[in-house]
Amino acid sequence: MRRRQWIAAAAVLVASALALGYLYDPPWIGGVTSGLRPWEEGPPGTLFRWTAGRATFFVPSNVTTMIVPLRSVFPGPDGAPVKVEIRDNGRSVATIVLNDPEEWVRATVPLTPSAGRRRFRRIDLRISRVVNPYVLGVMTGEVSAR
Amino acid sequence: MARGARHFVAAAAVAAALAYTALYGHIHGLPHFQSDGYSYYVYLPSAIIYHDVTLEALADDWYGGRYPDPTGIRRWPSTGRWLNLHPIGTAILMAPFVLVADRLTVWSNLPRDGFSLYYQHGAGVGAILYMLLGLTILRRMLRRHFSDGVVLATLIGITWGTNLFHYAVFDCTFSHAYAFFLVCVWLWLVERWWERPTLACTLAVGGVAALNVLVRHTNGIYVLLLPLYGVVHWRDLRARAIELRDRWRLLAIAAATGAVVLAPQLALYKWVTGSWFVNAYVPHGMGFDFGSPHLADVLFSTQKGLFFWSPILLLCAAGVFVATGWARKLVVPAVVLFALQTWLIASWTVWQFGASFGHRGYTDGLALAAPMMAACFAWMAKRPRFVPLFAMGTMAAVLLSIAQMIQYWIGVLPMENTTWAQYQDLFLRFR
Repeated sequence: MRRRQWIAAAAVLVASALALGYLYDPPWIGGVTSGLRPWEEGPPGTLFRWTAGRATFFVPSNVTTMIVPLRSVFPGPDGAPVKVEIRDNGRSVATIVLNDPEEWVRATVPLTPSAGRRRFRRIDLRISRVVNPYVLGVMTGEVSAR
Repeated sequence: MARGARHFVAAAAVAAALAYTALYGHIHGLPHFQSDGYSYYVYLPSAIIYHDVTLEALADDWYGGRYPDPTGIRRWPSTGRWLNLHPIGTAILMAPFVLVADRLTVWSNLPRDGFSLYYQHGAGVGAILYMLLGLTILRRMLRRHFSDGVVLATLIGITWGTNLFHYAVFDCTFSHAYAFFLVCVWLWLVERWWERPTLACTLAVGGVAALNVLVRHTNGIYVLLLPLYGVVHWRDLRARAIELRDRWRLLAIAAATGAVVLAPQLALYKWVTGSWFVNAYVPHGMGFDFGSPHLADVLFSTQKGLFFWSPILLLCAAGVFVATGWARKLVVPAVVLFALQTWLIASWTVWQFGASFGHRGYTDGLALAAPMMAACFAWMAKRPRFVPLFAMGTMAAVLLSIAQMIQYWIGVLPMENTTWAQYQDLFLRFR
């Protein structure tokens, strides 16, 4: 390889390493969601979002307790309760059972202190049933954390 | 001019990066996996994350066991297995980018669900790179036969005078930018195969032709470029038939390679439906009606008329009559393929191809339009008196196409069924 090509290859390598370092813990990741529809406002002025069969959001990593408002609206098959499994960075931490479809359940979830160096922890919701044709999981309200 | 032609692809890359960032440089609600984009892509999360090519596990996890109807994925009545409207080719071409996105997703602790941020960008960036690779190949071929000025004008015309840029940047998970790349490669390979039919080239001929069929089954018509390349007169057909007969071994190798590439799709069809060959649109009530094609609508209407939305392509029609040298060798295949493509599109139930900018049914074959456009530019370049007027007209066509593309992006232009009254009312309006 010629000198210019070596320099270009080295520059690409350094840029890739820097990009990877940045992407390990980017500051904007706290705003990323997946599997969640846009915010809507319910009749009493309650803000909520529909999930699909699974959904993800992030909370700061120093949070020790999280309150997640959940409402199923539609019951499970044959009127069964809807279950929402909550995972913290992939580890199952709670399963919330929504017996009454109309009731908002404010699930309080204790979180163990985060061992990693990231600023945010990933919270995944896995819903036991999905209502078609609009792919509705459950309603989630504004998550509060402390 | 030489500089412009040399750096055209870099300039197109910068323009695509700027446009993509302006459209999708945020973290919420990226639309890449909607409509056709979803069904082209869904094979990848299903295979990479759920390790399941049947599409069953993903449906269970995300949708409670049933894909939403707009995805175009339905259970085949006799087997109850999922049949995707779209074949696997686009997903195969997207795969390297989505695999990188998958690794980065794990690295950044994003949800490894197949649809989160990096997966969207992986698929989006892939389309841009394939367009740029296609343009690189096209530029290389054109520069061997035309002046730098002609090459530059042609590349600008193809990229921004048509909907190619739109399908690489805006609707980037649709198949068209990928197919454009494959047709560019195909054109390059066919030329090489007739010049020097090596084994490697033969294998590539079979593989690329089949991959193009996997992207869109009707792209099988591009195979005709191989026998028709270089046929200028009727009398050439006999000589061509003899040449093909003399190369029957190589053709057999190419066909065998193609069969190997097609095999996974055929196996999937067999498993899902019990048949090796399936029209996946049948459950959706769509098909061809070859008896009453919408020819005039497809070519000239305000709805999706090819020449109405991309008037610069009229230069290709002129190029057919003035082409010389290399471009002359492509006139017959270009005309035959254009006629076939038009007949197929015009006979299709949804001849507008749904929501789209311009007519996306022709985007795949723009590589074959380029030599005709270049031939027209070259012919005009020899008539200096008319060049300024011609250049102004061409520039106006490109600028109009760009303006209308932006109107489509910001939601001013309707996605389909545009009427003449609507068009007049919305002409060059940006709010």
